[in-house]
Amino acid sequence: MTVQTRLKKKETQRASSGIRRRKLVDFIATGVVSTGGIAVILSILAILVFIGIETVPLFQGVKSELSSSFILKESPELSSYSIDTTDDKTFPFIATGLEEYREIGFVITKDGLLTFLSLKDGRTIKQFPLTELENSTITSSFVSVNNKQYSFGTNDGFILPVKTNYKIDFVGDKRTITPEVIQGSLFKVYDAPLDIIAYEESDEEDVSAAAAYTSSGNLVFTALVAPEDDFGSEEPKLLNKELTEQLNGSKVSTIELDRAIENLFVGTENGKIFHWDVSDKENPEFLRAIDATDSPNTAITSLAFLLGDRSLLVGDEAGNVSVWFEVSDSSSPTGEILTRIHQLSPLELPITNITASARDRGFVASDEGGNINLYHATSGQLLKELKTDGPAVKKLSFAPKSNGILAIDDKGKMYDWELDNPHPETNLKTLFGKVWYEGYKKPEYVWQSTGGTDEFEPKLSLTPLAFGTLKGALYALFFAIPISIFGAICVSQFMHPSLRNTIKPIIEIMAALPSVVLGFLAGLWLAPIIEKIIPAVFTVPIVLTLFTLFTVGIWHFVPRGIKGRFKPGSELFILIPVIIIGILVSLWLNGPIENFMFGGNYKEWFYSVLGLQYDQRNSLIVGFAMGFAVIPIIFTISEDALSSVPKHMTAGSLALGANKWQTAIRVILPTASPGIFSAVMIGLGRAIGETMIVLMATGNTPIMDWSLFNGFRALSANIAVEIPEAPHGGTLYRVLFLAALLLFFFTFFINTVAEIVRHRLRKKYGQL
Amino acid sequence: MNKFWKNGDPFVWLTGVALMFSLLMIAGLLWLIMAKGLGFFWPTGVTEIELQNGTKVMGEITSREQIRGISGKSDTKEAKYRTQLKIGNRDLYGLDFRWIDDDQIVSETEPKYAVVMERREWGNFYGFIKEITEDGTVVCQGNEECWSKLEQDIPIYAAIFKEIRKIEKGDIGGINREIENYRLKIRGVELKGGDQTQIKQYEEKIALEEEKYKAKEKELEVLYQEFTKEKIVMLSVDGREKEMALGNVVLAFRPNAMSWLQKAGLYLHRVWGFVSDEPREANTEGGVFPAIFGTIMMVLIMSIVVLPFGVLAALYLSEYAKQGTMVRIVRICVNNLAGVPSIVFGVFAVGFFIYGIGASIDSFFFAESLPNPTFGTGGILWASLTLALLTVPVVIVATEEGLAAVSKEIRHGSLALGATKFETTWKIVIPSAMPAILTGLILAIARATGEVAPLMITGVVKLAPQLPVDGYFPYVHLERKFMHLGFHIYDVGFQSPNVEAAKPMVFTTALLLILIVIVLNLAAIVIRNRLKKKYTTSAV
Repeated sequence: MTVQTRLKKKETQRASSGIRRRKLVDFIATGVVSTGGIAVILSILAILVFIGIETVPLFQGVKSELSSSFILKESPELSSYSIDTTDDKTFPFIATGLEEYREIGFVITKDGLLTFLSLKDGRTIKQFPLTELENSTITSSFVSVNNKQYSFGTNDGFILPVKTNYKIDFVGDKRTITPEVIQGSLFKVYDAPLDIIAYEESDEEDVSAAAAYTSSGNLVFTALVAPEDDFGSEEPKLLNKELTEQLNGSKVSTIELDRAIENLFVGTENGKIFHWDVSDKENPEFLRAIDATDSPNTAITSLAFLLGDRSLLVGDEAGNVSVWFEVSDSSSPTGEILTRIHQLSPLELPITNITASARDRGFVASDEGGNINLYHATSGQLLKELKTDGPAVKKLSFAPKSNGILAIDDKGKMYDWELDNPHPETNLKTLFGKVWYEGYKKPEYVWQSTGGTDEFEPKLSLTPLAFGTLKGALYALFFAIPISIFGAICVSQFMHPSLRNTIKPIIEIMAALPSVVLGFLAGLWLAPIIEKIIPAVFTVPIVLTLFTLFTVGIWHFVPRGIKGRFKPGSELFILIPVIIIGILVSLWLNGPIENFMFGGNYKEWFYSVLGLQYDQRNSLIVGFAMGFAVIPIIFTISEDALSSVPKHMTAGSLALGANKWQTAIRVILPTASPGIFSAVMIGLGRAIGETMIVLMATGNTPIMDWSLFNGFRALSANIAVEIPEAPHGGTLYRVLFLAALLLFFFTFFINTVAEIVRHRLRKKYGQL
Repeated sequence: MNKFWKNGDPFVWLTGVALMFSLLMIAGLLWLIMAKGLGFFWPTGVTEIELQNGTKVMGEITSREQIRGISGKSDTKEAKYRTQLKIGNRDLYGLDFRWIDDDQIVSETEPKYAVVMERREWGNFYGFIKEITEDGTVVCQGNEECWSKLEQDIPIYAAIFKEIRKIEKGDIGGINREIENYRLKIRGVELKGGDQTQIKQYEEKIALEEEKYKAKEKELEVLYQEFTKEKIVMLSVDGREKEMALGNVVLAFRPNAMSWLQKAGLYLHRVWGFVSDEPREANTEGGVFPAIFGTIMMVLIMSIVVLPFGVLAALYLSEYAKQGTMVRIVRICVNNLAGVPSIVFGVFAVGFFIYGIGASIDSFFFAESLPNPTFGTGGILWASLTLALLTVPVVIVATEEGLAAVSKEIRHGSLALGATKFETTWKIVIPSAMPAILTGLILAIARATGEVAPLMITGVVKLAPQLPVDGYFPYVHLERKFMHLGFHIYDVGFQSPNVEAAKPMVFTTALLLILIVIVLNLAAIVIRNRLKKKYTTSAV
């Protein structure tokens, strides 16, 4: 081998290794760019997916799982109780309940023994005899709202309120719960066994009261009122009132008393609800009796209050469940009448129990066939159906955090269900439809996400917000479309290209103005000015038209020699002083017009004649400000469409004798109309998504009407205002994500349509 | 008449009205903001007004308008006017502004000795100097004598104030941070099982720092004593006396006695103060430096993120991906994303960055400071990333345009000479497309600067105690909340308790923001035009 060939070989080796290296680099680069590029694009598109996923739980149903079930009698401490399924009256378990961690539950037996048991396996933890009830037996029980207080009626006419308390200690991460029982003082009601009772204590007024139906057929209302002076010299007053007379022979089947001790409802075996106003404890006032079931033979078997004690839940013998509350009615003496608001999907057999949730507007109802239904009152939906083995559900309790249900069937078997129900109040109907909320006269679209009290129910209808968004966008377009499209026609058809090249960038700069600046000007500067000159605002278009026509008339008499010196289109700049003068004239006319047309005060006139309220920050202001933001967008795109119409069409039209205006409006405009359509669509998209302007230039009140002179609340502004306050993962948080998703779809859809239309137009121009 | 309508001219002119109207609106808007924003710093004369009931009012005349009658009827025959005066002295009068009916005015004068004082608290003071005292003894008396003293003293007190701020924010802030650091370390050790010796060590260090703190506090006390040593007694026009610490005065001037040149000097001084100072009095006075700083820093972080990723995506779409229906659909989608409302991106950021990534970072790296979130709450990093997402379509579209403009011949030439695809892209295509990429970036920056809605929910606050950059490790604090010019406008204009007094401030901030945005946009337009020219010449 010669030196030369060896060198050559080395060189080729080096070269090939160089090539190999370069190829490797190229290969790596291709990989990096491809993966990187795809990753970027996917992650942008993943935004939609992520927002969508966050909203999914809103529409997911309730998940339930039977965590445990056991037969109570199998526990050695409870084995002495006999269960006779044929006789209702002998059923030993009179009440049940559980604590908020769902570890410990309890049952109370007829002989006054309270047994705490582990919900895991039914093992007895502790037993407390209710010492106050030593010589009597329990004949009836009542669970007060929020499942916090239990009261028991006895065979000798007493009521005993009982509370359970749970001491929770943490040792490291381990939780130990120690149950306690607090017995209240005995409360004498009547000298007969109490078959049905209701008992409440009002903290605010220091009053406790009971209503009871005795085995002798008497309905009594008893109240223990603390003396009004604070010296403590007087004993509390015990007031006793018989209400049997007003029942008119009806047999009572269930009683419910509200926590403020103002309303007493009594359900009867002939399907009536008797209503007393008991706010005056000495003289309960009978209001009325209402037929609450379909036929007089159907008894009312269960009454309960929903959280907040304003809505009454009614269950009857036929298995119907309904929600009632008082709605204002002029024919009633109190101005209100109890009305059935929601009829829920029925159970099969007579309702045995209704228990409301202590957290939301949910409640559970059970029937004699062993069915348990979980409902949401406001939305009227059936969330979940559960079933026990035994034929009838005897006792029912809702976990304090509404995350579980405890039930005892008539064979003495206890069931503990776990519920996963994070968003019971939302479905498509409550989010977009009319909902009859508690205290409202009729079903309405309402957005009201926060309220003052714990019992406040969030009202999350997105309809008024979507309405607001559309209202703002439409008023903005009303203002922007004529100005921008006429402007675009003017620039593209009647002006010299050199003028066009200076005017277009100026208007494009307008698009770059931050919307926060526009919003600030609209809200703080424009709104107070417009408020003073409303009549002028409406005269400006008329005055400007007249002035322009007048100017055109004068222009006709200008000698041709002078006219010729103007570049085509530049004579239109004469209009600038004309517009300024026109606006000044309108301002000057403002006072006289207001005096002449509106009797000196347009606000009063609007209110009395048109029934319109004038808000300073209103849709008109938003229309101007957002119109200002949208004008450059519509202008630029439609100008592009108009000026790229092939020139031979203009030439042909003009050659056939049409004048400039006819050419523009009958030849150019129809050809370019798809482009203008897409311009308007893109403008609409921008107006829908605009946040700062609507936030700053309206009052942000979620009302639904088309009036130009009041504000609205838009989806976008609503998100900006409320998401910082919305707890992560809560219903409001997810509803706001849904609002964002709506905005995303709105704008994405609109922009895609616009893009497709524009694409077609480009093709069409190519063929012309 | 028929002919008048027939030739179409009236319609042409009517379209002209629409165009001229929009031009006028732009001009009007810019003029309005310029006038209101720039005029704010010009020292206006102070007017003393004597009213018919014998009282006197003094302040700057801010506006004059026609009064509408009680029933709303404006009396056209004999229009009545009223004048608005900025009377300042919030500590004496309670209100900054006062309306005076013109028929109540007996005389208007411009007293030569009227002093306007900008103060650290309570807003402006309008009045006359009575005397300056030091530790109770009178140093000087009267307007003339005290004025020179005042002029001398203000810079001295400004220096003391600066020193105080330095100790309070810098030194004491640093000590606090160290103590907090050691506390967190103790918690960290406790979480791991609790090594007592280590905890002891940290506790000793905390004690050491606390001693340092006490020393600094003493230093501060001395400074504060010096700061409040001299008092100035001012007389308001209605004869009320007001004593205040001389250190409380930021700036004092006598507008009625100033020459045009002096006013211009003061004007520049105030403009500089606006740009470089920190805000006072709930953002309604002072400067906007933290907001400018926050805006710029956020845009910088955004640029660092958006540029490589945007270019990468564009390169893939136009150079590497197989052109077909799929790519076309992706392109339309990316295009349309630019039209998706910014608040949607904000919502995404709240869910994904803050509660998703941020919360996980916290639980891994900052577990000791939980439940106080570090990254699990809004901050400058998340805000910048949100804007990066928002503007990445802009960069992609612009870059793709630039890449498409590079002619095929150049690529083919490069490939024919044996360059690999990557070499062609890296050395030939990207340099030619650089102006387009730059345009895209500038447009992205311009959009990001003006955007407020997504920032409101991802980390902007009305008053950030610290800048996101300081002298303490790790120097750049990406988790901190920050201030922003656009949000400043919204906050001061709509959330501040004294909107009327804050308005000029908002106008000035708006002007600053608009200037930045317009300059950026113009730069983009110029670069784009250059680019076009370059290609038209290279094609020959």
